[in-house]
Amino acid sequence: MQTEATLETPVHRQRENRLRATLAKDRKAQFGVVVLGLFIVAAIVAPWIAPNDPNEMTLDMMNPISAAHPFGTDDLGRDLLSRIIFGTRISLFIGFSTVIIALIIGVTLGIAAGYYGGRLDFIIMRYIDLQWAFPNFIIAVYLVAVFGTGLFNIIAAISLAFIDDFARVTRSMTLSIREEQYVDAARTMGFSNIRIMFGHVLPNAMAPIIVQATVSVSYAILAEASLSFLGLGVDADTPTWGLILADGRGFISQAWWLGVFPGLAIMLVVLSINFIGDWLRDALDVRQAI
Amino acid sequence: MSKDNDEQINIESAWKDAHDFDPKDPLFGLTRDEMSGTDLSRRATLRLLAAGGALTFAHLIPGSGATRLAQAADAGGTLNCGWAGVGEIVTLDPAQINQVLQFQITSNVYSGLMHINADLVAQGDLAESWEVSDDGKIYTFKLREGVTFHNGDAFTADDVLYTFDRSKDPEQSIHSKVIANVANLEKLNDHEVRFTLNKPQASFLPKALERASGRAMTIVSKGGIEALGLAQYGLTPIGTGPFKVTEHQLGQGVVLEKFEDYFDSERPLLDKIIIKPIDGPEPLAAAIQAGDISYIGGNPVPAQLVERFQSNPDLTVDIKPAPGFQSVWINPWREYMQVSDFNKPVEELKKEKGFMVRLALAKALDRELFVKQALFGNGVPAYGTINPAMGYYYDEKIGESSEQAFDPDGAKALMASAGYPDGEGFPELELITTPSQKRYGLVLANIYKQVLGITVNVVPKEFSVGIEDFNKNDYDLRLGGSGGDYDPDDGLVDWMITDSKFNGPTRDKAKHPFGFFSEAEVDAVIAEESVTAEPEARKALVQKANAITSNKVACGFLYHPVDVQVYHNSVNFPDESRIPGLHDFDRVSIKT
Amino acid sequence: MGIYLIRRLFGAVLVMLAVATLVFFMLRIVPGDPIAAMLADAGGPEEVAILKQKMGLDQPLVVQYFKWISNMFQGDLGSSIYGSRQPVTQILLEALPRTMSLAFISFVIALVIGIPAGIISAMRRNTPTDTAVSMFAFLGLSMPDFWLGILLIIVFAANLQWLPAIGYVPMSEGLWAWFSHLILPSIAVGTAFSAIIARMIRSSLLEVLRADYMRTAASKGLPVKALMLNHAFPNAMIPVITVIGIAFALLISGAVVVENVFAIKGLGRVLINGILNRDYPVVQGAVLVVSAFFVFSNLLVDVLYGVIDPRIRLS
Repeated sequence: MQTEATLETPVHRQRENRLRATLAKDRKAQFGVVVLGLFIVAAIVAPWIAPNDPNEMTLDMMNPISAAHPFGTDDLGRDLLSRIIFGTRISLFIGFSTVIIALIIGVTLGIAAGYYGGRLDFIIMRYIDLQWAFPNFIIAVYLVAVFGTGLFNIIAAISLAFIDDFARVTRSMTLSIREEQYVDAARTMGFSNIRIMFGHVLPNAMAPIIVQATVSVSYAILAEASLSFLGLGVDADTPTWGLILADGRGFISQAWWLGVFPGLAIMLVVLSINFIGDWLRDALDVRQAI
Repeated sequence: MSKDNDEQINIESAWKDAHDFDPKDPLFGLTRDEMSGTDLSRRATLRLLAAGGALTFAHLIPGSGATRLAQAADAGGTLNCGWAGVGEIVTLDPAQINQVLQFQITSNVYSGLMHINADLVAQGDLAESWEVSDDGKIYTFKLREGVTFHNGDAFTADDVLYTFDRSKDPEQSIHSKVIANVANLEKLNDHEVRFTLNKPQASFLPKALERASGRAMTIVSKGGIEALGLAQYGLTPIGTGPFKVTEHQLGQGVVLEKFEDYFDSERPLLDKIIIKPIDGPEPLAAAIQAGDISYIGGNPVPAQLVERFQSNPDLTVDIKPAPGFQSVWINPWREYMQVSDFNKPVEELKKEKGFMVRLALAKALDRELFVKQALFGNGVPAYGTINPAMGYYYDEKIGESSEQAFDPDGAKALMASAGYPDGEGFPELELITTPSQKRYGLVLANIYKQVLGITVNVVPKEFSVGIEDFNKNDYDLRLGGSGGDYDPDDGLVDWMITDSKFNGPTRDKAKHPFGFFSEAEVDAVIAEESVTAEPEARKALVQKANAITSNKVACGFLYHPVDVQVYHNSVNFPDESRIPGLHDFDRVSIKT
Repeated sequence: MGIYLIRRLFGAVLVMLAVATLVFFMLRIVPGDPIAAMLADAGGPEEVAILKQKMGLDQPLVVQYFKWISNMFQGDLGSSIYGSRQPVTQILLEALPRTMSLAFISFVIALVIGIPAGIISAMRRNTPTDTAVSMFAFLGLSMPDFWLGILLIIVFAANLQWLPAIGYVPMSEGLWAWFSHLILPSIAVGTAFSAIIARMIRSSLLEVLRADYMRTAASKGLPVKALMLNHAFPNAMIPVITVIGIAFALLISGAVVVENVFAIKGLGRVLINGILNRDYPVVQGAVLVVSAFFVFSNLLVDVLYGVIDPRIRLS
């Protein structure tokens, strides 16, 4: 026990200090943290800050920007600002939940493959290689076609599509970490494999996984937007930025706001996350090209 | 001067003559000869038009050939067309065509025995003249002579037989049912054929033999199919029509060129037509505004673009009623809105909870609001399958007389008596739409929420998936309907009878005796109208059947689309080619 | 090298076979019936049954599978079960030049923007130029490609009318006609990739410049330009080659969406239309061709890598 604690704490403390120090210097990262923070707050308090019911239709269709409708109205007379604010909930939820799911499955597969090696590694890696042959987005397209549309199915499709990235990163980290002295030490002390994997190997493999996760969130948000655009998106009434853009694309030159504001929202969030990812990459000293 | 005066007098007398009829029987006093022949006689046609309220002075201007001669100076040139809302024109083989936007093209490439005109009346195409036996079962056609296919083969009676044999075989054609009523087709000589029907059929000429929408008897080339093979024939088919297909790449478009040996030497006028599929409203608008295309065909012009095109001085926008209807289909086998037997008087049905809900769902349809919000005003409220484009058969008063007429309070009261006051306790329903009609579904869901307080979730599904659910009765509500309905049978026989082709064809027949609707009287009236050749009698029967399907809620009838034609002012599109739903280019020219 | 290549090739073929198998079986759990779609307008259960029989869709899955695999090895991917029943091989062969053209021009645009941007920002590290390039890169990566495509159509086709809005014209109809139709979609597809290239070049150049041998060369007094050209750049290109492997994934993913915006019937559009129409043979064929590109472009990258840097081959 004593060993375990002394082995881990310095790594953590060191990491935290470095993160804090680099954030203070990194303007882009500060921007990213603030903007993403604002979006997260907006998502939480959406019902209180949105000027209208996001699904309330009126005959004021495609009205331009006004005091009553700061972002104008859409093709069904709904208030665009309210839809975008509510859309924050879904887009962020899809972005984060898919990555969490992909992370849990991918990391488990990667760590098991790397730690046990042998036949298990072979089987897992053949599957990962297979998935690696497709770009994530194509896999997501295909899985949505198999599962059907809907919030849950989209999340399942995007999550599965990102598994291989996490599995690969985790496995390669595990392969080097399992040869480290402290892992040997833990083994000789008779810790169970599970405990070694998740108590010793994983904490030391976290840096690249965190960076991968950050980047993946932005890809997941973009993937959802693209799926909606192709007609493979979330349910019809749920306002997500991707869906708002997809629905608005037939009206974009009569109502430019339909094409501009949801696109800007996507871009701002993705940009913020990319800034944060970059900062983490530097701060955690992750070299791999992801 | 005097010629003009004569013309004026002629027009006036024709106008008077056309309106000089017993409104109950516009064709009274016309001979059988005037009903057969090269086409419905001019008098008969004009009377039908006048009876339908569709007659204008333009119809009466004699010698339309003269105007055509004047236009002959404009012959030549290339017309660039965009086909809206589609990524590729998958097939031009009539036996495989299942979309209006496909037969819009083939109508320019093939001929049939008949072709409807701008007033939706069947005219001879390859048939020069015909005779109908007194019992209405034997049709003898005299075929046009000297007609050749694009590959140089001569057109003879054998080609009619070849097309017939191919089309009646369900393995080769998806339209075998269209000619199921034909007992026998025989060749009398090289230019005469005789059809014998099992029973008389009023729609035989405008439906079964129509070259565009009919498809079963669109004359295909045996030599062409054998030389090219089926797949290639589907891309670059060979017909006897005014234009031949010279190029066709899926997703890139179709190139049509003037067929020099077309049987009418005055047609076509254009040298070349390039048809590009264009998916999405924005690219479509951009293409016509930039001049990349100067004519829009294909799927209906997206409603939100109509006003924009109308305000563009370079474009001509012509709006006419379109031959079709769209409905909210209500599954009668869902527990909370079950109606397992429609064979009761409406008053009896209204005592059943299931029917109360069904009627409420139809009554709650605020069609005016729907047309405004979903269609930007481009549509006509519907209460039955018979559409305004049919003119003569359309019942203009049905909106007032139907049980389905919009009545929010009545609809609310029905829901309350069914046990769901303000929608309380009523389950959430799913409404299946196609992806492109999704926003229509959202408008409907909103109407249901506002009027009945119930929640309807819109589920956009690809057409192939949605139709499968519909066919096997696995849906709550579905938005869908029909297009290219030129004859009442296109609405009534195809949709409203118990064994119509869409009435739950793949349902579990042990559990569900019918799909969405079945009513004995409707079946009987439709069986009668479809064999009634006499127009006035048929009209009465058609309207009767239409009224019952409306009152007993065969579905919640929603709207009749409008046909919006959009083209550049440089295009000369004569009225006689303006057939709703079609784009016949044989008389079209480009102004120089 | 020979054995290495054969082993890799064998592996690639195995992956392809696995992909084919997976695709075949997964597609058959997709809801939606292509025959129903085809007969939507006319035909009842009997017609459906007849057609299914004719197309072999009534046979057991395993039988259908082996038939498909054995036909595939003879270059026969079946026919579309929709509309004209075009042979899938023909559909793909027609789509291929479109996607390849789009990918090629996107690639060129990405390189033309990305490489100089990367070099400049590396050489002027921490200057406003560097910041501008990096902002451009971030924006490029954060912008949905289809959104960019729509904005480009509105600005350059609908309003300015400089370029055609949509469609594809084969090179046989003129080089400019072909190219002008590809400019807007290629920018939409290539922007994200140019951002990646710029970032990649920048960081790998900086890394190389920091390396010991560069310091040595600099201390010997070699001029900066010669240093960049002869030493830094070739070494910095090694990771860039990996990116080119990734490029293909990006370009195809981009093409799937952007081909839809610009109505170009390339592989991506064939794939999506196939999925939407439940046209099994087309989807199978498209997925196979697309994934073949990935598998073999990965292979090519690995081999190139080995040629450039022999150390990698050994490990």
